[in-house]
Amino acid sequence: MGDFLAQYGFLIVTMVQAGLLGLSLYFPLQAGQLSLASPGFYAVGGYVAAILLTNPAFAGLRESLGNGMFPLTWLAAALICGLLGLVVGIPALRLRGIYLALATIAFVEILRVVSLNLGVTGGAIGIFGIPQAFGFQDRWQYIFLFGPLLILILLFAWQLERSRVGRAFRAIREDELAADAMGVPPTRYKVLAFVIGAVLAGIVGAMSAPFLNTWNAKQGTFDASIAILAFVLIGGSRNIWGPVVGGALLTAVPELLRFLADWRLVINGLVLVVASLYLPQGIVGALQGVRRPPPPRRPPSVPVVVEAKGGTP
Amino acid sequence: MEASQLLQNLLNGLAIGSVYAIFALGYTLVFSILGIINFAHGAVFTLGAYFTYTLVVGQFENNGLLKGVNLFPQGSPLSGNPWAFALATLVGAVIAGFVAVLIERLAFRPMRARGADPLLALVSSLGVALVIVNLIQLLVGAEIYNFPSDAYGEVRPALSFQIGDRVVIVRTVQIIIFAVSLAMLAVLGYVIGRTKVGKALRAVAESPGTASLLGISVDRFILITFFLSGFLGGLAGTLVGTAFGVAGPYFGVTYGLKGLAVIVLGGLGSIPGAVVGGLVIGLAEAFVPADYSAYKDAVAFALLFVILLVRPQGLLGRTQIQKV
Repeated sequence: MGDFLAQYGFLIVTMVQAGLLGLSLYFPLQAGQLSLASPGFYAVGGYVAAILLTNPAFAGLRESLGNGMFPLTWLAAALICGLLGLVVGIPALRLRGIYLALATIAFVEILRVVSLNLGVTGGAIGIFGIPQAFGFQDRWQYIFLFGPLLILILLFAWQLERSRVGRAFRAIREDELAADAMGVPPTRYKVLAFVIGAVLAGIVGAMSAPFLNTWNAKQGTFDASIAILAFVLIGGSRNIWGPVVGGALLTAVPELLRFLADWRLVINGLVLVVASLYLPQGIVGALQGVRRPPPPRRPPSVPVVVEAKGGTP
Repeated sequence: MEASQLLQNLLNGLAIGSVYAIFALGYTLVFSILGIINFAHGAVFTLGAYFTYTLVVGQFENNGLLKGVNLFPQGSPLSGNPWAFALATLVGAVIAGFVAVLIERLAFRPMRARGADPLLALVSSLGVALVIVNLIQLLVGAEIYNFPSDAYGEVRPALSFQIGDRVVIVRTVQIIIFAVSLAMLAVLGYVIGRTKVGKALRAVAESPGTASLLGISVDRFILITFFLSGFLGGLAGTLVGTAFGVAGPYFGVTYGLKGLAVIVLGGLGSIPGAVVGGLVIGLAEAFVPADYSAYKDAVAFALLFVILLVRPQGLLGRTQIQKV
């Protein structure tokens, strides 16, 4: 067991972490919002934790709180990302579809350039030597942080789907105008979905900073946006398990392909192409499809009977 | 700012802005026809530069599978004088165009045939970009190549004149970039606005279903669009490589993203919009004060963010009517 964890522990934790990031994109998607902002909030959360854990300005706080410092970083990251999510979300969510995706890409890129140039974020080098959470000795022990968070978020997502809010999200996803007409205020729910995703990504970032030991501008890039989007779409965007399965699998693929050495990133790209071609509903969607065929999209057409009027033409 | 500095920035901005414009035109053409953003466009840009490099230099010293291969033992026929280099640029762009056609056949057409979610086309095109960039790395190495920046025959500035006590310098390459971009825009504008092919393209962009009923082979025109898009992307790649003297596998990533900012700024799917957007962003970047030059890469995205909030349809875009 020890050997197994030593060898695969890091990968397993990374898989769970990827699943969580996938979920952070899944929440806005629930309300029909294609937001690629997750890596931005993830990066911000990580910076918040990294600064709180290493900056000399917080040395006194660290001394008095001890291990309590770690939950504080999660809380701080959640608060800051939630606020940032509100500030960005309220104006940005007036946009639809691809425009929102592009606006969130712009947000991530602006954050990246700013963090590359600020002193407090360590510039291009970033912040390193971040202390291990709760004095963990091995990387696999981070499963004790990411595991419970994943379970918590899955329970939350499961509850949310059955709640009034979750139904409002789905109504907006299916047809925003109709939802609005039925008295569901779209803006409020869209912002809510966006902020939930932002808070989750921020907490994951705050937990990841000690896990990775170092934090720099490479954590939140356009590539990460796309990787996370791929987690959700390849896993399945209509089920809470989709992002988790997609994140875990797509994180594992490059590792499983390690024997291909230099070719693995090429194969990774091909996997994305082939999967988006042959698994349009995602892996989870495809598995569900086996059990239960999707309902027909259009009601069966009713034959139009033209009644003959009068006599012969 | 002094007049000389102003003029210098203006000239630099026009040169880089015109490259942004022709690169972004490739994006916007595909968007106007298919309604999707082809994220592999940045990779085609990189390929264009590499194809030209191969035609001109023909050997690779960096650590890749092609290390030590020499395509032209007697020296490349396409190097030595500016005209040969121009021909190599053109051929490189044509090959890039064929790569774009291949991408359409392998990654986009099967998806269209299945009526898949446009979001999946996005992931698929990103997969293609990943494949291309990593293939380049495998074959010719991850290192940056020195692009022949004196390819047009002279390293000295084509134009330099004095205003007050400062010298304004215009490089040959900048003039060529600007001229080529203008020529491309004129040709494209003519083809799309005045010819039968252009008319058919516009019909397909408007409504593929109706166009197909009118006897237009939609698939063929989509291929033509992808060829044009790849050609423009590849051409932009070589022009930028020549202007800055370098090319590397990740060379297109920044341009890929900035191209997005350009087409949104101008209006998604709008051809004049891509030109205006490219010039606006090129000029805005050129006027970033030297003290803040580290933030230069954020300018395009800040503009993109602002325009999306103020005028989501872009500067020259049409307002889309929301269908109920």
